[in-house]
Formats: sequence, structure tokens, C-alpha cells
Amino acid sequence: MTFHWHRAQRCGFRALAVACLLFSHAAMADSDAAMAPKRFELSGFGTLGVARTDTNDTQFIRDQTQQGGIDKSFSSKLDSLIGLQAYFRASDSLELVTQAISRYGPQGDYRPEISWAFAKYNFNPNLSVRAGRMGTEFYLLADSRHVGYSYLTVRPSVDFFGLLAFHYVDGLDLTGIVPLGEGLLKGKVFAGYSHELAPIGSEFLNMHGNPMAGGYVDYQQGHWQWRATMAQMTFKHELPAPVSTLRDGLYLTGVPSAVAAADAIGIKDKTSRFYSVGGVYDRGPLQVQAMLSELRHESATYQNSKAGYLLAGYRMGQVTPFVGYSWTKSKEKTLSTGLPPNPLNDYLAASLARVHTDQHTYTLGARWDFHRDMALKAQVDMIRGTPQSIFLYPSNTPNFDGKLNVFSLALDFVF
Amino acid sequence: MRALLKPLLSLLLVLLAQTASAELVVVSGAKSGIDHLSRQDVVFLFMGRLRQLPTGVPAVPVDLAVDSPERADFYRQLVSKEPAEIKAYWSRLVFSGGSRPPQIAESREDLIRLLSSNPGAIGYMDRNKVDQRVRIIFDFATHP
Repeated sequence: MTFHWHRAQRCGFRALAVACLLFSHAAMADSDAAMAPKRFELSGFGTLGVARTDTNDTQFIRDQTQQGGIDKSFSSKLDSLIGLQAYFRASDSLELVTQAISRYGPQGDYRPEISWAFAKYNFNPNLSVRAGRMGTEFYLLADSRHVGYSYLTVRPSVDFFGLLAFHYVDGLDLTGIVPLGEGLLKGKVFAGYSHELAPIGSEFLNMHGNPMAGGYVDYQQGHWQWRATMAQMTFKHELPAPVSTLRDGLYLTGVPSAVAAADAIGIKDKTSRFYSVGGVYDRGPLQVQAMLSELRHESATYQNSKAGYLLAGYRMGQVTPFVGYSWTKSKEKTLSTGLPPNPLNDYLAASLARVHTDQHTYTLGARWDFHRDMALKAQVDMIRGTPQSIFLYPSNTPNFDGKLNVFSLALDFVF
Repeated sequence: MRALLKPLLSLLLVLLAQTASAELVVVSGAKSGIDHLSRQDVVFLFMGRLRQLPTGVPAVPVDLAVDSPERADFYRQLVSKEPAEIKAYWSRLVFSGGSRPPQIAESREDLIRLLSSNPGAIGYMDRNKVDQRVRIIFDFATHP
């Protein structure tokens, strides 16, 4: 059993101190009458989770921002986190929000980071702009991935959300709402820059300054919500080793076809695009979600992929059992160095194979709302992939056969 | 026999009146200018999706205290959701920088004061607690 919770807690308190500092003078200004809406609010969310798999041949992660994964020993690092929010209503039309989170992340520790810090200005009840740091909404629900209390499962579908290595964007977004028919049509556009790192082995892919942009169209009516989203990111830094070493080697040959291959697996100034459609049906005790996505990468270093998931839950008293099915599949890109037999050919083949996925997952579990503001969840994920489906795992042994079961328990809370 | 029937009938009437007292209505201030809201409007307004009333005024939905039975009843009747589900719903919006939940009136008198002072304020209460200071703008009994 490996428990890192004491560390998580320590960092959580540091995050709290940061949030308090940022808003201390705002809090002092808050001496309003009880009848007015509260001007200053401090709140938070968290998850205490343990999970294990049934194999030591690979490491299972929640998403690609986690440096290391879990194996057959129970670990709390996959899902445990704590987040704190300070909210200040400066006026009827201006709101300020700061949120800090401590979770197991890219650098293999729980160092807290500011995941949200924005000012929101409401031009009118139907049009608002936000500026600052905001969660990325590449897919429906992607900006609330850390708030376990807000959803049924222990964690968002890894097949679907696991490839999203970016959690926030520094920039602007504009949201508008128009009543249409019996429902509401909502649109959002956003643009900004990334400020994150993604772990690659013991190295990091630097995403600082990568431009991001996107938007969605959303329609809600009756029990239905539909959304189509498009988002993109352009890389401004190259991948670290081993890809950088391979590219150096290819350039050194001076052979035009090898140089072309090195160019093709570069990522700087190349764009990755994310398309998705999602639907939610929510009727009393019944909740159903379905989403589809497609990723297209200009760089040959990443394979284009498609993913989807279906999740259904039905509340019975305090307990909501749920079932889910998800899949992700990528398509190999053919690329040759044009060199005679050479170790570089093998390195290139290995590099291209490293980013392949072809798997599906069956999920079974239950959420128990046993106490106010707290939920206990238990879940089993049965991942069935080809032995070549390894992109979602930071490392694996040659014995890995693509099959994996994950057992998880989580206590989610808000305060 | 007739002597027995009379008290029985009055008992029945009292019981009926008690059942009727659990009937909730959505209300605004008497001078809000709101005529009537559709069920879909009430859902959108109380779930933070729409922040403007048909009158064009910014909407200020008001909840009763967390522990009040009317609050739990209201969301059961409106969207068939338990308090924990409503809390989970708002947790997603609050912690992703979206809408904030309705402000809270600690008592019915607080609610009525809010409704009277703000033409955008809307709340809910037992039908038999309604007086001339408020106006019924949605009725679960006639729009089940």
C-alpha cells in the first residue's frame, strides 16, 4: 500500500494559504447586510481515492498529465486531490474566481497549482466574457474533470478524456445564450495559451505558450443536452528524448528522405485538432451520457484517433448503480526514413508504435450518497485492448497483453 | 350514525387541507410584472441556465434554507432530483467557473422581503402561505 495522502494534505494547506492571500482584502471588504447575495465565498472539493490494477506489466494513469501510474498495489495517487475556490462578487456584473488544486501531476508530486483565476464580466444576463486562467473545455464536461462529487463515476472515462493533457488555458472566452424554440442555444469561443507540462518518461513536453483556441455550440431542451465542440492546439516546443534524439540522428544522416522523416515527426508549429459531439439525457433518477471524439494531428509523431463512451446510471434511493462502455482506437501513420537497414529505422518504428491505442473498456460501479456533501463510489473497469495498445500507459513490460482490470474506491466531498 | 359522520368528515377535510399544504407554487413579488412562467422556464431559471426573465429583468432565483422540506420538495417536483443530485449539479458549475446557485432566504419572511424589493426575484412556497404581497407565476398543480 502506498499512501501519499499526508503529502497531498500538506500541499492542500499551502494552496489554501495562496487562495486566502489572494482574496484577503476582498474578504475584508465584505461586510454586507445578510439579505444581499453573499459577496465572498470560500468553498472546495476533494477526493480520497484508492485504486489498483491486476497486473504489474503496465502502469495505469488517469490522464496523460500524471507522471507515473498504478499497478497491483493499492495507490491513492491516481484519484486523490483537493481543490479550493475563492469567489468574489465585485459588482452585479463583475465576478472574480480563483481556484487552486493539489493532485498527483506531471512532476510526480502533489504540488498545488492555480488551475483557475479569472474575472468574469456579464454584459447582460445572456452574454459574458471571462479573462484569465480557465479550465479547458475541449469536450463536454472536460472542465470539471477534477470535481468527482459532480459526476457518477470514480473518474472520467480514461479512454475518452485520458489523452487530454491540458487542464487550463490562459486567455479569454466569450459565452452567449439565445432562447431557441423550447430550449436554449448556447455558444462559446475561447482563445489563449497553455502553461502546462506533460510528462514523457522522466522528461517533459513543454507546452508553455502553445496557442489554443476553440468553441462549442450547445442546445438544451427538456431532458436533453447536445453539444458539438471543436478545439485546437499548436505546439511551440519539440518533444524531449527519445523523440528528440531520434530526430537528431535522422538529421545527421543528411539523407533527404531521413531529414523529411525527422521533419514529419517534429511537432513545433504543428497543430492538433479535437472534434467532439456529446449528448446527455437526464430525467429524474436516470442519467445517460454519450460522446464521440476525433483527434487529428498534423505531426506524424501522433496517430489520429477516435474515441467514444456511453454511460448510464439509475438512482435507487441513495445508491446510483452505473454501467459504461468506452473505446479508443488510433490509426498508424506510415513513415519511412528511406535509409538502408539502420538502427534509426527501428527507433522510428518504435517511436511510431509508442503512440498506438486500440482498446475498449467496460465499467461497472455505484455511487452512494450516504451523507450530505459526500459520496462513496466503488468501480471496476475492464480494459480490453490489443497488446499494441500502449499510448495511455507511461510504461509497460513486453509481457503486457493489452488486458487490464482496475478496482477503485473513492470518497468525494464538497465543502 | 349522523353524529359520527360529521366529525369524520371534518377530520377528512383537515387531512385533505394538510395534503394540499404540501402543494408548492412559484412566486414573484406582487408588482414584478411577470404574468406566468412555463415549467421549462422555471427549470432553466432555478438551474442557472437562463438568467433573464421574460420581462427582460435579470432573474434572481431564491432558494429556501438547505434544511427546509419545501426546498427538497421543490426540486423533486421540478426535476425529480434529490438534494444530493442538485448539490452535485451545482458543484460542477461552481467549480468550473459557471453559474452560481440561487441565493438563499433563511425564512419565508426573508423570501417575501426579497421578492417585494426586487422585480427579478422568484421563489417558491406553500400555496396556502401565499398572501397579497406575492404573485403566483407557476403552479405545479395545474402544470404537473
